[in-house]
Amino acid sequence: MPSMEHVAHPQQRAFNPYTENGGTILAIAGADFTVIAGDTRQSEGYSIQTRYAPKVFRLTDRAVLAVNGFAADGNMFVKKVKQRLEWYRHAHAKDMPLRAIARLIQTMLYAQRFFPYYVYNILGGIEDDGTGAVYSFDPVGSYEREACRAAGAAQSLVQPFLDNQIYFKNQQAAPGQTHPSHLPLPDVLSIVIDSFTSATERHIEVGDGLEMYIVLAKGRNTQGMESLHGVQELSSKLDGERVFVVRRELKKD
Amino acid sequence: MNSFATRFDSHHHDDDQSDAAWGSQAGFGNLGDGSHAFNVPAVPDPTAFLRLHTDDHADPNCRIKIQHGTTTLAFRFQGGVIVAVDSRATAGSYVASGTVKKVIEINPYLLGTMAGGAADCQYWETYLGIQCRLHELRNRERISVAAASKYLSNLVYSYKGMGLSMGTMICGWDKTGPAVFYVDSDGTRLKGDMFSVGSGSTFAYGVLDQGYRWDLTDEEAQELGRRSIYAAGHRDAFSGNTCNLYHVKEDGWKFIGNYDISKMHYEGPGDVPGAPGGGYGYDVRTKGRFSVLETEVVA
Amino acid sequence: MDHFPTNWGRPRNDAFDHYNTYPIPVRPQNNAFADSVQRTQQPIVTGTSVLGLKYKDGIMIASDTLASYGSLARFKDIKRLHQVGDFTAIGASGDMSDFQALQRDLESLIISEEVTEQDGHKLGPKEIHEYLSNVLYGKRCKMDPLWNSVIVGGFKDGERFLAYVDLLGTTYTSSTIATGYGAYIAQPLLRKAVEGKEDVLTEAEARKILEDCLRVLFYRDARSLDKYQIATVNASGPSISDSIKLETSWGFAEGIRGYGAQTQ
Repeated sequence: MPSMEHVAHPQQRAFNPYTENGGTILAIAGADFTVIAGDTRQSEGYSIQTRYAPKVFRLTDRAVLAVNGFAADGNMFVKKVKQRLEWYRHAHAKDMPLRAIARLIQTMLYAQRFFPYYVYNILGGIEDDGTGAVYSFDPVGSYEREACRAAGAAQSLVQPFLDNQIYFKNQQAAPGQTHPSHLPLPDVLSIVIDSFTSATERHIEVGDGLEMYIVLAKGRNTQGMESLHGVQELSSKLDGERVFVVRRELKKD
Repeated sequence: MNSFATRFDSHHHDDDQSDAAWGSQAGFGNLGDGSHAFNVPAVPDPTAFLRLHTDDHADPNCRIKIQHGTTTLAFRFQGGVIVAVDSRATAGSYVASGTVKKVIEINPYLLGTMAGGAADCQYWETYLGIQCRLHELRNRERISVAAASKYLSNLVYSYKGMGLSMGTMICGWDKTGPAVFYVDSDGTRLKGDMFSVGSGSTFAYGVLDQGYRWDLTDEEAQELGRRSIYAAGHRDAFSGNTCNLYHVKEDGWKFIGNYDISKMHYEGPGDVPGAPGGGYGYDVRTKGRFSVLETEVVA
Repeated sequence: MDHFPTNWGRPRNDAFDHYNTYPIPVRPQNNAFADSVQRTQQPIVTGTSVLGLKYKDGIMIASDTLASYGSLARFKDIKRLHQVGDFTAIGASGDMSDFQALQRDLESLIISEEVTEQDGHKLGPKEIHEYLSNVLYGKRCKMDPLWNSVIVGGFKDGERFLAYVDLLGTTYTSSTIATGYGAYIAQPLLRKAVEGKEDVLTEAEARKILEDCLRVLFYRDARSLDKYQIATVNASGPSISDSIKLETSWGFAEGIRGYGAQTQ
């Protein structure tokens, strides 16, 4: 039996370089659109630091990145991704394709394998073939293309709801019918809004505001967005993919 | 900083945001020149730091949860190599994903499996793919499975003690025929006929061992792989959701199918070659034999 | 290979791994000389809360003038507010030596960017805040933090700016900000008095709000002092007041059990 004596280890420094700033992010891919959303509350412990700190960022006309976890790491990471995309634009005179951005994010996260960014990333947008896509990452860069993903403080509340509503998990189709493989935009928007209002009710770190980005495939009209008011377009040109943002209030208690 | 950590410290390399990060190398900016620039925390013991902040079953409060992979298996037989895996990723007790691709397609002739840290497997097996392609270009022939797996094991060995976590099988077909090598982050590399890796491996081995023969037909072998992953998914909490099945033959690997594990329990894998028909669950076999309740209901 | 998945992704526990021969023997456990660079591992002489708010014409920052040494009120007239350039004021809680190092750093930044360059560009509060964020985040990444929470306030090109940055590099903007103990005691009062009224509050009203908050803090925060400074930044630039004595009254405590002299 080996002796269980402790090897003398140096005292770990009191400084903890990480904290958790709450909030939740979410993305859902449709056939020819993607919705990426996040709440805007930033908190530490039980204190709300601010009611408006964006967690979702437009990268290009067809890519939107949502970051959640430790806000300082998240902001720095987004800054570095944007910088790399700008270099790419200067070198190739075009925007980086979505799948390439996903791989870029993997390598950038993995470069910090031994001092990780405490950030959960969800990348949403339009693929080169015109389909909506969501890529989700863990803090050290493993990633996967999915149809929907929730991350952050309320992921365990929101993801099961999405599994049920998007993937129709544990739902039986009506006799002679099948579940649709992609939902239309108005349905997706309602699901996103409901996810956040519900997460706000049941999770203290979620609330204040909702920021929803909508990315439409090239040539797709804005059908399905009529019911939304206060939509703001962020696209750099009108004949390519188009990006919109909508802001909504969430409860502030 | 200790001498060990210094070897991996990016400060001793050229700045990783230099010219290498530009333009077409943008995706693999820190891989392009073959030297890795990893940032290591400036603490006396970086390994203890990583241990402190990444998840630990002894301390569920650790913030950074890294996704983990779970049951994987591969075996060699007369008709090639069967590779079968589950698709569940867990972070602590949370099922982070049920749709993970745990078979990594390194190139048309090589597959790698994923158990352990998902990012470690994805990243280094992608990197292995780059090196295998470079080998082809340099030597005008495909890399052998032995060489590819040795490349990976040497690589992870150079990071030993830093906290990488991979348990992988490198599977393929080369001049020597079908081959399977087990490589893990301790630096172990083993050639063999049958491996299973992950927390569900014991369940998978149980099924594999009783059904395995060298002269299995292709259909029988595929069914054995499926049935073994089903057993692991059924009995191991960290495994489940679906099974992905691959078959490597002389002309490269082929994806056979994706099977829902609950569905296999109740209804079976569906109309696929080798399947006996009906569910794998034992309640199918015991139906009407002993259940007191059932007879009461009938009466 | 450890097959239990929750053990994966992390370094193994080398303390109990008697078969792992590498690299444990070659790792120096604690070489005091190789690792002897001085770092702030804990704050020593500290300042407590800093408060900031937006008002009609600009922003206002307030803090008391105490620098504590643990529970000892060590220095009672320390300036925790500081002017940076022509448009910005900052205020810091946390370690005062780290803050003074920051002040020197900002001073040399202003000299090199504005005095030496003379390129017509002036650093506004946004730039100062971005710079401070990068410095503090950079230091945290080196595991060598500057142990402060800093409020940056300013007024440039007709725009108010109020933001926060701390030792981890965490940043945010808000119309009211309070650091330290003030985040619990003063922030609710500030929000009630300011939110929605940012464009209405006069300088006198803003000053009154901050004084009230400082008074409550003085009553409840054992590391605070009844002497404070207020920095105002508006269209005419930053101005930082001298130390002001806080008017306090303990009269309300009369008759309340638990305050004042005990009668039973």
